[in-house]
Amino acid sequence: MIKVPDAVPPHMIGDRLGRRVAVVASPSVRDRIAQLLPWPLVRDLADLPADLDGLIVAGGGDLIDRAKLLRRGRPALRLAAMPTIWGSGAEASPIAVENTAVGKRIHVDPALLPDLIVTAPELGRTVSSERARHACGDAWSHALEAFLSPLATDSLRVDLALLLREMLTLPLAYDHRWYTVSAAACAAQAQSSVGLVHGLAHTLEPVAPAACRSHAVLCSVCLLPVMRFNQQHSAKWSLFEQHAVDEHGAFAVLHALFDRERFAAIQPLIAAHWMTVLRDPCTRTNSALVRPGDLAFFESFVA
Amino acid sequence: MTNKDRLRALLQDVFLLTDGEFRFDLKREDVDTWDSFGVVSLAVGVQQTFGYHFTPEEASGLTGVADIIAVLESHGIRFDD
Repeated sequence: MIKVPDAVPPHMIGDRLGRRVAVVASPSVRDRIAQLLPWPLVRDLADLPADLDGLIVAGGGDLIDRAKLLRRGRPALRLAAMPTIWGSGAEASPIAVENTAVGKRIHVDPALLPDLIVTAPELGRTVSSERARHACGDAWSHALEAFLSPLATDSLRVDLALLLREMLTLPLAYDHRWYTVSAAACAAQAQSSVGLVHGLAHTLEPVAPAACRSHAVLCSVCLLPVMRFNQQHSAKWSLFEQHAVDEHGAFAVLHALFDRERFAAIQPLIAAHWMTVLRDPCTRTNSALVRPGDLAFFESFVA
Repeated sequence: MTNKDRLRALLQDVFLLTDGEFRFDLKREDVDTWDSFGVVSLAVGVQQTFGYHFTPEEASGLTGVADIIAVLESHGIRFDD
């Protein structure tokens, strides 16, 4: 069963976070958040008062992850996450990715899981079509890598198959259902693992050209080649048929997410950083074993 | 290619070992990449290469290359070739 924190709209939060509550929001949505929530806005997580009962963090995955790490050091603080865009699923997982001077550091700890999700899908309506497509790619990468994960249980795969069938009905564009779906996809990967898509994204994000320097973009671009690789090598690929998930429909989505120019831009970087990709923990829990000699597959990949 | 050759190639790839670093008497503690993630990728690689799926207890209980061979031989995969 995929476990996701309770989700409520803003007017249903009530006293679930205690009496003294503050809000931290990304600058791009601060004005809209001030209209949705009655609690005071604090400019930055570093400025939070010491005597708070609850914190609502409204933003994307990076800000939510920072709040999760801060709350781990203040366990009495109740944390609600209000995603302004779908995709990362940070609001639903006990995982936080920290950006450090030497790269990404992944923390996994039950204490990182937010207590509550605040749903306000209208915040995503103004997202650009390209950013929306990449957010969908982020959610697809979580769901597919979790479904094929060597660490997924049979019962989790049953739930993921249902989720994937629902995702196949959604557009690669804004749809309020993406918030629920991407939270479930991220929670599911936290209960199993991700794979090579994330190993590539984590390795390349600091070194990729500007047009690719985003987790969601890299996941979207790497999904098709990695799933073709898994299709050829993974003993788990038959799970699509076993669970009646439309493999051809999924590949149609991955083709729509693929970007030939962006992939061509990162191909030399994949080669230059291949040993780092192989050592990434996500790569090492991929559905198929990724070997040093498999670089040739990605160097020669054509959609 | 013998099963010993297949196993050597697999373990070098899973644990990123050079020809000079690999030995059939290697212990888990000798290999820094034989951590919990290495256990997962070893299990995936063994299934792909030999068609046998370690149980979680088998995979986490392996203490060295000799144990891998012993488990696989106990399931009919021969290494005396």
